[in-house]
Amino acid sequence: MRGNIECDFPVDFDTTVILGQLAQVLDPELDESIVDLGFVRSVRLHSDHADVTLQLPTSWCAVNFAYLMAEDVRHALLKVEGVRHATIRLGDHCAAREIEAAVNNGQSFAEAFPEEGAGSLAALRLTFLRKGFFIRQERLLRELRVAGCAPPVICALRLGEISIEDDLTMIRQPGAAPQKGGRAATLRCYLQRRAELGLDCCDDAQLIIDFEGKPFSADRLQAHYEAARTMRVALEANGSFCRALVSLRHFFDASSSRQKPEERETCTVRTDTISS
Amino acid sequence: MYRQDGHDIFVIDGHMHCWDANPENWKSKYGESWIRCFFAYHSALSPAEAVWPFEKFCRYGDETLVDDLFRTGYVDMAILNSTYLYEFYNNGFNSHIQNNVVKAKYPERFLLCGSFDPRDEEAGIEAFQRMMADYPIQGLKLYTAEWRNGSRGWRLNDPWAYKYLELAQAAGIKNIHVHKGPTVYPLSADAFDVHDVDYAATDFPELNFIVEHVGLPRLDDFCWIAAQESNVYAGLSVAMAFVHLRPRYFGEIIANLLFWLGPDKLCFGSDYAIWSPKWLIEKFMAFELPDDLKQEYHADLTLETKRKILGENTARLYGIDIEAQLAKLQRDGIAIGG
Repeated sequence: MRGNIECDFPVDFDTTVILGQLAQVLDPELDESIVDLGFVRSVRLHSDHADVTLQLPTSWCAVNFAYLMAEDVRHALLKVEGVRHATIRLGDHCAAREIEAAVNNGQSFAEAFPEEGAGSLAALRLTFLRKGFFIRQERLLRELRVAGCAPPVICALRLGEISIEDDLTMIRQPGAAPQKGGRAATLRCYLQRRAELGLDCCDDAQLIIDFEGKPFSADRLQAHYEAARTMRVALEANGSFCRALVSLRHFFDASSSRQKPEERETCTVRTDTISS
Repeated sequence: MYRQDGHDIFVIDGHMHCWDANPENWKSKYGESWIRCFFAYHSALSPAEAVWPFEKFCRYGDETLVDDLFRTGYVDMAILNSTYLYEFYNNGFNSHIQNNVVKAKYPERFLLCGSFDPRDEEAGIEAFQRMMADYPIQGLKLYTAEWRNGSRGWRLNDPWAYKYLELAQAAGIKNIHVHKGPTVYPLSADAFDVHDVDYAATDFPELNFIVEHVGLPRLDDFCWIAAQESNVYAGLSVAMAFVHLRPRYFGEIIANLLFWLGPDKLCFGSDYAIWSPKWLIEKFMAFELPDDLKQEYHADLTLETKRKILGENTARLYGIDIEAQLAKLQRDGIAIGG
């Protein structure tokens, strides 16, 4: 989706820095980069002023999440060296004017939408950070199962016993031969969210824990996996719906294209995370 | 009726609309952006040959609907899910009054849903009673995320919602369709949330709650509730549309629903005119659950299960005797398959 972003930068500017920062911004519900989702429409930089236009899948996308994404984009841009001002636009979103006015002036959601209650937004964000944690964990569990790890082994595994070697993870437990675990990226994603949630990341901590840091017993692991699996399916299905909608918007805007919308969108099912 | 390998499958479309989104009916800019949002859903997920011009999508009329559902779309009966949106449309989007026009023309073909809004409180009771007395209301469609005088929604377990549910139950209503899915202007109150269904389903065990769009984007929360409440059902519209563009996700969604709810609680719906039953049903009948999903979820989408999903489950909810109903339908002038 990066190819669809309209860019306008000074000739000597390293664009990867700004695009890299934007790629760090996630849709809070979909737990995916807004760049990969196709939500970034254009990025412009004139002297020290960055200007980003987002295009969400519909003009009705949740205002609270739209606000969070716009705010996160602004913070991401202001981290880039040489950027001192940032303006975020939300295209034809139904609350574009209110959100833009608030975010671009550094107002919080609570200040911009006092009648909506700020506490519930923070709680909602935490709910989705936790859901994302379980979904990232489900992908890890799936790979461990494919690698042949039995539930008691998975539950006993400590962070210090799984390491990253090239693109893969290796498991080394006392008294057992080393074995491959799964993809390094899956583990990194999981550990990143684990740290964001303030959970124990010491070598001695168990690899698979709930969002309060408690490990699972082997007999509870299956039920936990089944629940996390449903969360993952809900999230990935929603993500694919949003992608289909946003790619349609790009299609209608790109009047020169003769392809049909469904042919144009190239994103396919993430077989890497769903094949068993 | 869908026929496959000598089997006749009775089809009830559990979720469809006969809306009026003509520009003359737009009350505010939201009237336009609402229908444009629906049109985006339609264009994004329909096969290319099934995409309509926007003008037709705004107002297609009764006869197009009857053709698309009953003459070419394999549907035997359909549930009119009334949606009011009086803040967006002068005459409403598809109120029970608008929907009853086509119901009156083909009474055996349609089940008509009415509605209530608990924010009317005491003042709405009389109109609600009158609606149930004056119209052939067989179910309710509730839209908890609807805007109203600055309010952005309500919850099924609000005290006034319970009063209306009690009245509906006393009037013989059994089925409550609740829109929980892609929705209007959900702010921090989080109108996507499905947990209010849990309270209402527990407190009204005699009523059935059909959660439309299976709670998407909150499929997981919906599954936990439906797995625990025997009177909570899955309305499959929106999820159905994945069968074309995203068959793998369709398979995963169906596998999860079969895993948590079983085959007796899933109800087909097209969300016509967003998507048309003809292609939905053809692709659904041709769809098989991939082997890895069958193994992982210990579930299968057999012909028997498809038959339940397409018609038998909803027929049971509404007390429809399929054989007797077919005999009535053969006399109503719409030539099946013609």
